[in-house]
Amino acid sequence: MKRLSKNRPLRAKLLGIDVMSVLMQKLFAFLKRDFLEEASYKYSFIASFFGIFLSSATFFFISKLISPNSSSVLAPYGGDYFSFVIIGIAFSGLLAIFQERLPAIIRQAQVTGTLEAILVSRTSIPVILFGSSLYYFLYSIASTVFHLILAVVVFGMQVEKINWLGAVLTFLLTALCFLSIGILSACFILVYKKGNPFSWIYGSVSGLLGGVFFPIKVLPVWIKWISYILPITYSLEGLRKSIIVTSPFSEILPNIIALSVFTVVFFPLSIYLFRLALKKAKKDGTLTHY
Amino acid sequence: MNAIEVKNVTKVYPAIKGYKELLLHPFQRKGTTALRGIDLEVRPGQCFCLMGPNGAGKTTLIKILSTLVLPDEGKAFIKGHDLEKETDEVKKHIGFALAEERSFYWRLTGLQNLDFFAALNNIPLSKRRKKIQEVIDLVGLEKAAGRRFNTYSTGMRQMMAIARALLTDPDILFVDEPTRSLDPVAAQNIRTFLRKEMVENHGKTVFWATHDLSEAAEFAHTIAIIAEGQIKAEGSVRSLTGQGSFPLKEVYEKAVKEPAPESKAFGN
Repeated sequence: MKRLSKNRPLRAKLLGIDVMSVLMQKLFAFLKRDFLEEASYKYSFIASFFGIFLSSATFFFISKLISPNSSSVLAPYGGDYFSFVIIGIAFSGLLAIFQERLPAIIRQAQVTGTLEAILVSRTSIPVILFGSSLYYFLYSIASTVFHLILAVVVFGMQVEKINWLGAVLTFLLTALCFLSIGILSACFILVYKKGNPFSWIYGSVSGLLGGVFFPIKVLPVWIKWISYILPITYSLEGLRKSIIVTSPFSEILPNIIALSVFTVVFFPLSIYLFRLALKKAKKDGTLTHY
Repeated sequence: MNAIEVKNVTKVYPAIKGYKELLLHPFQRKGTTALRGIDLEVRPGQCFCLMGPNGAGKTTLIKILSTLVLPDEGKAFIKGHDLEKETDEVKKHIGFALAEERSFYWRLTGLQNLDFFAALNNIPLSKRRKKIQEVIDLVGLEKAAGRRFNTYSTGMRQMMAIARALLTDPDILFVDEPTRSLDPVAAQNIRTFLRKEMVENHGKTVFWATHDLSEAAEFAHTIAIIAEGQIKAEGSVRSLTGQGSFPLKEVYEKAVKEPAPESKAFGN
């Protein structure tokens, strides 16, 4: 009869190499799990990329209605509506992924019971949350890149010189900011199970007032202030300036600062609120309630 | 030191309010009492059976001891570590075989599932394959490990839940009605595995929730009968039955005040 070998307790070395290695292995485990699950639904995988093609084509033909350089509000973005809107829809997809996928993952784990199995393991809450979003984060990068390649190669979007520093910083801060909003949505799901108001209120308001489909300059003054409190406004502004019109870093910086402020406030707050939500669910005994 | 110590643990679940009640009394707290002042001590290396009817509080107590539910009152300790204050330390010593078979990823294979949970339990990549193979051999799922989880029988899923709980080589194993919905042969395999393999060969403490009388009588060192959230009787089978002078069924029925369920153990 085989005997179980005793695992030595993990000892964090001075440089924290063990801790980092274990952390990376955990994140990789989440990534692998989600990849294997998603890849097992082959047609959904292919369909999502086909959907990107269809939405790009739709906006390509809509943009034919707006002559280049005919609108003064599009002038700061190079004057081409297709380039403007493709950045909007490609990167707002990132918001949708964090805002909808993370709560959906938590909900699914809650309903099936995998959440309990994960929570009883020796993995901290931030790692569970970050790990659960990792695949979708990488997937969103892939779909955003696919969106842009399609726009450039198939639909002739003009990209001259990308400000990589501005684009990468804006993208990373955008991802962290949207992840925080996703975690806030997940808090609601953890406690109330369904009817997540973050998803539809924030999602709809961001779509309408965040500059996804049109520049916020066209909005009436009395409503424009809402745009300025939405992180997506700064994300899209920073990304358009980095990708379409290749602005100097100093012009992108205000957007990066605004996104940093949102991230510094929302990220720790969302983790804290998730801990509270988890505590409430443990207190109420509703971790696996449907 | 006791493996498990429970002191005056009480758990009240908040009741779900209707719309009318929510509007009229939004702050009024009503609840369903699942546990009332539970006191227990489990010695290391024991097979401890918590027996009681449905809704008696067995799963609540197991979930509290597995850190998944917080008690409202009282304290509980795992190998001397406070469940609420030293949760990380407690998790090092426990393994929980969830009764819920959906707690696995059905589109992944058994191996892939175990690999994921092993990573979450700090088992480094270099040792993971060996460890997984070890627990798979132990529960006898060598041939099925590479198959998708959704192709497993209920008994195999239960064994896989035990394998997952054993990944960290815990000192204490919690099993919640592991033989529920199993055929007599599969159920007997699990009982023998838990008592002979886990307790006798590996010296683990097994905390086993069941409502099967014969199962508890045959395999437990100590039995606690729980009903309405309270421990009604506790002791070895011999002490509970007055050295065998009356049947355990009688003790159970007297404690629970309802007829004992038909036993599934040994196919009866």
